[in-house]
Amino acid sequence: MATPTSQETVFPPPLVEGGHTFGSVTDAICGVVEKPTSNGWKAAFTAALAGLALFGVSVGYLIWEGTGIWGLNNPVAWGWAIVNFVFWVGIGHAGTLISAILFLFRQKWRTSINRFAEAMTIFAVICALTFPTIHVGRVWLLYWAMPIPNQMGLWPNFRSPLLWDVFAVSTYFTVSLLFWFVGLVPDLATLRDRAKTKIAHTLYGMASLGWRGANRHWQNYERAYLILAGLSTPLVLSVHTIVSFDFAVSVVPGWHTTIFPPYFVAGAIFSGFAMVLTLAIPARKVFGLQDFITVRHIENMNKIILVTGMMVGYAYAMEFFIAWYSQSAYESFAFVNRAFGPYAWAYWIMVSCNVITPQLFWFKKIRTNVGLSFILSIFVNIGMWFERFVITMSLHRDFLPSAWDYYSPTIWDITTFVGTFGLFFTLFLLFLRFLPAVAIAEVKGVMPQANPHWEGYHQHSDAAHGTTAGHGDKVHG
Amino acid sequence: MAATAHNRATIPAQADAGAANGVFKIGLGLGVVGLAGVGGAFAVDHKQAYFSWLTAFAFYTTIALGGLFFTMLHHLVRATWSTPLRRAAENLAANLPLMAVLFIPIVIGMHDLYHWSHAEAVEGDPILKGKAGYLSPTFWIVRAVIYLAVWNVLAWFFRRTSLRQDETGDVGLTFKMRKMAPAGVLAFALTISFAGFDWLMSLNPHWFSTIFGVYVFAGATMSMFAVLALTALWLTNRGGLGNSLTIDNVHDVGKLMFGFIVFWTYIAFSQYYLIWYGNIPEETVWYKVRLENGWQWYSRLLAVGHFALPFWVLMSRHAKRNRLVLGITAVWLLVMHFLDHYLLVSPTLHDHGPHPATLWMDAAAMLGIGGLFVAFYARRFTKAAALPARDPQLAAALEYDNA
Repeated sequence: MATPTSQETVFPPPLVEGGHTFGSVTDAICGVVEKPTSNGWKAAFTAALAGLALFGVSVGYLIWEGTGIWGLNNPVAWGWAIVNFVFWVGIGHAGTLISAILFLFRQKWRTSINRFAEAMTIFAVICALTFPTIHVGRVWLLYWAMPIPNQMGLWPNFRSPLLWDVFAVSTYFTVSLLFWFVGLVPDLATLRDRAKTKIAHTLYGMASLGWRGANRHWQNYERAYLILAGLSTPLVLSVHTIVSFDFAVSVVPGWHTTIFPPYFVAGAIFSGFAMVLTLAIPARKVFGLQDFITVRHIENMNKIILVTGMMVGYAYAMEFFIAWYSQSAYESFAFVNRAFGPYAWAYWIMVSCNVITPQLFWFKKIRTNVGLSFILSIFVNIGMWFERFVITMSLHRDFLPSAWDYYSPTIWDITTFVGTFGLFFTLFLLFLRFLPAVAIAEVKGVMPQANPHWEGYHQHSDAAHGTTAGHGDKVHG
Repeated sequence: MAATAHNRATIPAQADAGAANGVFKIGLGLGVVGLAGVGGAFAVDHKQAYFSWLTAFAFYTTIALGGLFFTMLHHLVRATWSTPLRRAAENLAANLPLMAVLFIPIVIGMHDLYHWSHAEAVEGDPILKGKAGYLSPTFWIVRAVIYLAVWNVLAWFFRRTSLRQDETGDVGLTFKMRKMAPAGVLAFALTISFAGFDWLMSLNPHWFSTIFGVYVFAGATMSMFAVLALTALWLTNRGGLGNSLTIDNVHDVGKLMFGFIVFWTYIAFSQYYLIWYGNIPEETVWYKVRLENGWQWYSRLLAVGHFALPFWVLMSRHAKRNRLVLGITAVWLLVMHFLDHYLLVSPTLHDHGPHPATLWMDAAAMLGIGGLFVAFYARRFTKAAALPARDPQLAAALEYDNA
């Protein structure tokens, strides 16, 4: 047999490479934050701010003028706004899957990427939330979506999935933020203890809530983390399930189909992991985090992309098959029209990027090739945007042929969407600059040194104890 | 136990052959009794007997398929913790040849079971005529042969390779199985979905639901975990492997069983809710039958018994680690798995309300197929080690604790 026969290889390789000690882990990750601002970061941040400005202008003009500036027309009353909303909210799901579900499954490799992915989740959800907010037209009346008691006895329509979105996404955002922050506390304390300036010391000190790394702190921390992971796990499923209900509770052919909830969840995870790769591959290189976000991490994520991509492909196939099997003329037409109608170009972009190109990840050579992984992750990002576009465009040929119309975006649709990338990268670059991009304390927990029986260092007392996150002797607050 | 590393040569892996043989004999006896009952059922009402047979067949086939899925999933994700339980899953999947034989009555009874199989019914029905390219007796049989062949080849490959490792201890066999797993899972996903369409969904040939394949899979996996939990409890007790397999290993099965209770509910709710909300007659007709004339009580029991009750019971860590509570819940879930399939199959025949008078026929089929199923399953624990004795991951998996 050609396969290796050494027993070691049955078990996975180490999660942290480069012969790190606890001390050098802290130095490497904190170093990203503590080094002087690089010109590269400044240039990227300037570009992101320009995108944010574009976003501001687009939204400002929209609020001034109304949704007429978008390309919406009569059968297509939902255009890019819903496409972009679903696109961004889907991306968030990878962060929650990594932080919650992989934690419950004890997938230790998650520790290197969870901080990063959770930050991405929060910023992606912020981008997502802007679209329903501005789509309502009169944004100053947005609070009407909340069930606030009033003297007129007016309530939102509780039967509308759009209202469920309000609850689902805001719950999701709140829990994700809490989860992310709880995980950050020990690392913020590390930054506090290393801070060289008064202001950094004060700010990190306030954010770290008086963390001293005491035994009791760690016990409470671990318990809170587990509870939040348990609470976040159903959220991974529920949020995109509710988003799928936006479409599936209607009776529009192509929207109303029972597989939508799990299909949307799989697609969300698929797109989210692609985005994690798109962000992590450049970031690990620029900030020298290759020892923590290793090729093994990239390979694992590629495998998840392959699996979830096939789930999405399964859903496409089932939809198509059942549309025919149902012998419903409208269902069959909707799917034939997708594949061969005016939007066939979008449909085939979707199929190519979501089902065909991810098949390359069957090959280990490609899975472990960092450059190719980056390129393929961008394909997935594109494909998943188009998936939502294809689904939304089911509207363009509805039951009434005389009302059929072709939808095209206007310049304002495009600038608003491009602008959300400005918003996203502004937040993301700030995160990379001021917060530890890798969970320092958690990564130490998966290193061999964390095993109490480990006997690796020659004089291990010094190195093993000196640099855990937070120092007992530095009481703060 | 974590401190004392297991020496691989000394792990007891052989279940008590006497105890397993006892189960084999009891199963065989009950199976013969059940099959006699099935014979009686065919004498009384052969149409009902075929429906009862299909219910029981679907119940046990899904469990065996769950075993196949768990085996392949173990290799696919390169899990360590599930190594000691893998042999039991392989043994479950090894019942698939039995299920292939027990499928023959369904082919014979096709015209009693499936409305679309009547040429004259198709002739006067434009919808059935439209899908006759798929729902035709010949193609249906060809597909069934393909599904059963795929499952049997996969089950045979994984169990045989695993048994060979028991003898040789060759690590390369682990890699061989890992290599096969992705393609196996892919083939499994497609075949179980279409088998669900063919054997269960097409009982109501006008009705359709894209999630139906996932629904069948969800129930299959949950019920398999229930059987796996019962097997693990048996192995650590009467099976005499209490020193190898511990409550920590059992606990993990309980966690996944809990997870798949929720997953099944999620899928079942998605299907029901979207059809209810859309309120299109061609879709709601399937639920309408199941929510009227007495069937609603069965449906409500399914919602409570397949979800609400076990969900609250198993949420606690103490429940999952308590042999009695876990065991009773697993048995209860199997009863609910039966109810699930009873509700998939029986209302097609009794669309004006349930017929409790014919339940004895369902019971006979469950006992007949079930007795054989359990007997063949138990027999395998006398033939080979109950744990994959020389799997390189076994020692690490047994040291694992959930504290």
